[in-house]
Amino acid sequence: MEQVKVVLNDDEIPKQWYNIQADLPTPMKPPLHPGTGKPVGPDDLSPVFPMNLIEQEVSQQRWIDIPEPVLQKYLLWRPTPLSRALNFEKLLGAPVKIYYKNEGVSPAGSHKPNTAIAQAYYNKIFGIKRLATETGAGQWGSALAMACKMFDLECRVYMVRVSYEQKPYRRMMMNTWGAECIPSPSTMTNAGRQVLAEHPDSPGSLGIAISEAVEDAVTHQNSRYSLGSVLNHVLLHQTIIGLEAQKQMEKIGVYPDVVIGCAGGGSNFAGIALPYARDKIHGKKVQIIAAEPSSCPTMTKGPFAYDFGDLAKMTPLLPMHTLGHDFVPAPIHAGGLRYHGMAPIVSHLVNEKLVEARAYNQMETFDAGVKWARNEGFIPAPETNHAIAAVVDVAMKAKEEGKEKIILFDWSGHGLVDLAAYDAYFAGKLEAYELPDEEIRRALKAIEGLPKP
Amino acid sequence: MVDKYDQLEIRCSRLGGEVNFSYCRKEGGELPCPRIVSCWYSFFPIEQYLRESMDEKSWNTFVGQMSKDKITTLIELIETAKKRSQIKDE
Repeated sequence: MEQVKVVLNDDEIPKQWYNIQADLPTPMKPPLHPGTGKPVGPDDLSPVFPMNLIEQEVSQQRWIDIPEPVLQKYLLWRPTPLSRALNFEKLLGAPVKIYYKNEGVSPAGSHKPNTAIAQAYYNKIFGIKRLATETGAGQWGSALAMACKMFDLECRVYMVRVSYEQKPYRRMMMNTWGAECIPSPSTMTNAGRQVLAEHPDSPGSLGIAISEAVEDAVTHQNSRYSLGSVLNHVLLHQTIIGLEAQKQMEKIGVYPDVVIGCAGGGSNFAGIALPYARDKIHGKKVQIIAAEPSSCPTMTKGPFAYDFGDLAKMTPLLPMHTLGHDFVPAPIHAGGLRYHGMAPIVSHLVNEKLVEARAYNQMETFDAGVKWARNEGFIPAPETNHAIAAVVDVAMKAKEEGKEKIILFDWSGHGLVDLAAYDAYFAGKLEAYELPDEEIRRALKAIEGLPKP
Repeated sequence: MVDKYDQLEIRCSRLGGEVNFSYCRKEGGELPCPRIVSCWYSFFPIEQYLRESMDEKSWNTFVGQMSKDKITTLIELIETAKKRSQIKDE
């Protein structure tokens, strides 16, 4: 019988978060105020964040103590297990050992509570009574709803209307944890009312929902806003994932050759990766991969030769793959990440070549996720499938090269509330549209003269 | 052409859920989602479709949008919310 899980006792939970800003080879440029052009100061952000979180946002201190009340809440599900994916390894038949941090065991089913709990705590001790936030399909909203209840804060979540109507279970989770979940655009804010006046049937958007949540926080007494990704303090709180993983791997005497996380806004990726990026900065040999979405199809035809996301052509061209070539997962440059709303710290690490970004299309990610579920049992969140697709990619390369690899990745959440996505995949609704030959010829003509990979 | 594309479905990586092309086409109110091209270009000739379906002014506004970092966006939203609140109070 081979060991599958590596667990830490409650008293072995890391007591500090890791702040990579203290170790960056080149410091990050401070964000500039859009009005003054000067670096953003604490007062600029004080209408939406409590000062203790603003201090963390700009902190250069390497280690930051995790407050006892936060640790006590973490212990409800942390330390999360580090598991070996023996069945998936067998399926792949590659010379790799695959370890994953199972963040799906949290009450909300993802890594999001790692920062939701910290943010709720810091707001509470600053004297804040209520938090407002926005959410897309509800993963962040449900995590914050739970965290607010734990620290006796009121919580209002503006949920993008199209998701509010399609995703009742996340909304029900928020309600169960005592939060108020409002479809956005709403009549609760000036921003929402303005949109509804112009577009009464608006399905909403994240942009509108953020506007509503910020306005809500700014115009209510003792209220603040909370964000579940991108910002430095959010990534800081998530580092407990990688710090636990380091302790767990040390227990069994292994160190990963490759560390992988899926990267949407960057928070779960940062959670697993930043402690290893520190090692890499200090000379350790470790490959760190951020797996992000792409719509490249796994087919041999498709009219793309540059980054169509930048229609204004203001960033360097991104070669992807050309018609008639076998599909190769496209390498993507830092500009691509930046353009996709990535956390500044992650973009910075890509620019510093400490992190490598790779893009995977939705078909291959679901294919990887289904294989995972059928071999390891746990059904991954669709975002987690990007990391699994990257694991498959790395494993297949190791097989091709005949090299042994130890892979660690962040299994960022379960997909039990996202089964509609799997349903769409099984029903063939996510498959790429087969381009008529005439359109392919026309598209090929359009990319004549552009650089080819 | 529009009806045919409107029914196509994709997983929106921003929302974390499935949406039809019709949503992406109007996500920004008058404008499409800024990511519509990068999400849809492998499904059909989206750039050509947008050029043909948008007037020149809208197209230029759409392609001229610059990506902002989150802090900048938040500060702009704070200022906007404060102004709206002041107008309401007056």
